[in-house]
Amino acid sequence: MNDTLFAQLSTLGASLVLLFGIILLWRRSLMAYVRAFQQQSAVLAALFVVVGYFGQAPELYVVAVILFALKVILIPRLLHRMQNQVGIGYEATPYLNVASSVIVAGLLVLLAYVLTRPVVLTSTLPTRGGLPLAVGLIFVGLFVIITRKKALAQVVGFLVLENGIALLAVLGTFGIPLIVELGVFLDLLMGFLVMQVFIYHIQDTFESLDVDRLSELKY
Amino acid sequence: MNTLFLIMVFAYLLGALMALVSGRGVGGRSLTGGAAAVGAASGLVLGLWVLLSGVPYSLYWPNLLPVGGGLALYLDSLGAFFLVVIGVGAIPAAIYGISYTAVYDKGPVSLRLLGVMLNLFLLSMSLVTLADNIFTFLIMWEGMSLTSYFLVMTESEHRETTEAGLWYIAMTHVGLALLLAAFLLLAGDTSGAFADLRANAALLSPTMRGLVFVLAFLGFGSKAGIIPLHVWLPRAHPAAPSHVSALMSGVMIKLGIYGLLRMALDLLGGGPAWWGVLVLAVGAVSALVGILYALMESDLKRLLAYSSVENIGIILLGIGAGLLLHTYGLMAPAMLGFVGGLFHTLNHASFKSLLFLGSGSVLHAVHTRNMEAMGGLIKRMPQTAFFFLIGAVAISALPPLNGFASEWLVFQALLGGANIPNPEVAVAMPVGVAMLALTSGLAAAGFVKAFGITFLAIPRSTEAEQAHESPLAMQIGMGSLAVVCVALGLGAAAVVPVIGRALVGLGGLPQTAPAFQLTLETPDSFGQISPAALGVILLVVLGLIMLGLRLIRANRPVRVSDSWGCGRIEQTPRMEYTATAFAEPLRRVFAELYRPTRELTIDFHPESKYFVQSIQYKSEITPWFERSLYEPLLRLIKGVAYRLRGLQSGSLHLYLLYLALTLLILLFATRWF
Repeated sequence: MNDTLFAQLSTLGASLVLLFGIILLWRRSLMAYVRAFQQQSAVLAALFVVVGYFGQAPELYVVAVILFALKVILIPRLLHRMQNQVGIGYEATPYLNVASSVIVAGLLVLLAYVLTRPVVLTSTLPTRGGLPLAVGLIFVGLFVIITRKKALAQVVGFLVLENGIALLAVLGTFGIPLIVELGVFLDLLMGFLVMQVFIYHIQDTFESLDVDRLSELKY
Repeated sequence: MNTLFLIMVFAYLLGALMALVSGRGVGGRSLTGGAAAVGAASGLVLGLWVLLSGVPYSLYWPNLLPVGGGLALYLDSLGAFFLVVIGVGAIPAAIYGISYTAVYDKGPVSLRLLGVMLNLFLLSMSLVTLADNIFTFLIMWEGMSLTSYFLVMTESEHRETTEAGLWYIAMTHVGLALLLAAFLLLAGDTSGAFADLRANAALLSPTMRGLVFVLAFLGFGSKAGIIPLHVWLPRAHPAAPSHVSALMSGVMIKLGIYGLLRMALDLLGGGPAWWGVLVLAVGAVSALVGILYALMESDLKRLLAYSSVENIGIILLGIGAGLLLHTYGLMAPAMLGFVGGLFHTLNHASFKSLLFLGSGSVLHAVHTRNMEAMGGLIKRMPQTAFFFLIGAVAISALPPLNGFASEWLVFQALLGGANIPNPEVAVAMPVGVAMLALTSGLAAAGFVKAFGITFLAIPRSTEAEQAHESPLAMQIGMGSLAVVCVALGLGAAAVVPVIGRALVGLGGLPQTAPAFQLTLETPDSFGQISPAALGVILLVVLGLIMLGLRLIRANRPVRVSDSWGCGRIEQTPRMEYTATAFAEPLRRVFAELYRPTRELTIDFHPESKYFVQSIQYKSEITPWFERSLYEPLLRLIKGVAYRLRGLQSGSLHLYLLYLALTLLILLFATRWF
């Protein structure tokens, strides 16, 4: 009974997390990107609590709290501040239009199911249903980074990718050691701060956040 | 021993630190060079200790850089011998460098970088001889290559230097790639410690052993400068400051020999006959072609660099003979070959360092490396000329100096090939003897040219006329090496048994070192010789000749004047024999190899053909190793690189796509393959 509930809850949570990832592909306002990431992180934090409760891993509560503070409060706030400084942007002309993007995302999730099939078949974890979704989210995050031109969109894509990895970790192992988790968070924050610096520099140099302008540097 | 080792390491590190803190000025240079000399001296003592006592020194730090088994140092007799070689070359070079680098006190060259790199170069070189696993060996090897690259690039404001640096770094990394392949093939799935490699080598198939040997021979050969991998030597050695050239040419390239012996004899434990024949053939070709190219050079340091190729060839002749005799179980003559090779290694380290330091003194005074602008320096720099002469006599293998003793041993080992039962293999040895004999003769001609054109007759340029003797530290550097050359020559009979200890027990060689004797003796009594006695006889003969001259001259007046100038009233440098003219007969004899191009332009007087206004003569030899081997290769690489450039569009998104595709392909590969 408990296991069934746990399996259902984890699959539901993972699906929601993936769904928020796919939102990135059909919204164009960067504001919406940040909001989607915020909501995704909130769901992810809730999922950490669920896994912590059912998987008897109390340290996951701590991780959930930090995750909430970092990804739901701090980073979105920083992202908003950045938008205020460089101007609110729209992802006007991505390399792939919305319809094709969503189709590709669907294919990527399918691909994730194919790739994780051997693991899911042999696994006995109650959370195994969510594993393909986590891998799918990683692919979607990569896809966002590749097809979006605005530097800010790419940063959000990276954050989503990172959420996918965190999701995979928590579903696959019921929590990696706390010290590693803390290291990952610190890493994420540092990476984010570095990217922030780059974004300001790109804005200063090109007066635009279109990353494809960077290819001008080659000549 | 531990103390000695620590003194060595910390002296080098301290020297690097000193250079970093204060590179310029007399104080800074003395501290940097002094620390390097102390480090080299403790290395020398450590090496001698291990060599004489036979007790190896070891130090293991498995937790330091634990990836490849950590830092593993183990100094056996073979490594100890090469540590001694490093010491012999490095102490004088470091002292010499104190004064030599004074020219860099002003100017764009960074003395800090030079001092740091010099100390680190010596440190990594010393640790190569101590390495006891693949990881330590390759790290130190690479450290040695990189630091010496920076040393070559010291005068990087010259275009010639940067080109030389590029050749050097490319060749050394090709060598490293080959070595990496050889070591990994040999290691299989063992830990990479040399003891494991030894055990694993016995289990490999003959083909695999052969492959490992060829890869290692080419890899170490590219560092040693065997033909055709020698192209970097005549570029990089002249470009570096002279004390660095001495270290690179005298010491660093010898570590290629160390690696070859370590691999072929120790780790692989000897092999089939074709190994020995290969080494012998490459050695013979390197010796002959190296000295032939040296003869054509009129750049003093390039001449010396080509002569290093020749001497590496001679060393390889000894080692090749040793490997070949070892294959047939003829251990005593094999030992002779190896000892001959090692002795020549030590000797070359001493006289080639001496010659490079001497050429540095000349360069310091005349500011050019072109021999056509020198001459008459013996009057202006008598000490340098004397030391250079000793080096030149030693490298020409004239008795009783050290070059003679080691080449004699190599000859004996080659003659010992008559004991080989297979005649088709044994025939390689007399061919080697003939090549070595020709090489020795040509080397003597080459150094008559080097010494004669540089130091004798009258100056060919105003710079040469105003030349001055070099400062004391430089003279100490050269003088100590000259003493080493003479001592090693006269004391050869005492030195050779000690060198023999470097080899005992390696790859099944006899456990007992040759005993001390007053004469150099070869096991199967091909001959024996006593360089010390030879020296005494020579001195006596020389004394008798001088006495005779004095007796003849006793009652005749002595007139001092110009030598006879065919009736001309004034003698000018233009009447002198030039370096090019000296080598012209050989250029014609070996025209097949040199393919010289000639260009003669004569400007006649408009009125009559019998009055010539100017004559221009230009003659160059075709560098066909570069032309037929390296140029096609470079074209191929450039062509491929040009096509690959399309991948680098500069678009960030495309690069990200590459990443994602790679990830997907790898995931698929693990799923289905």
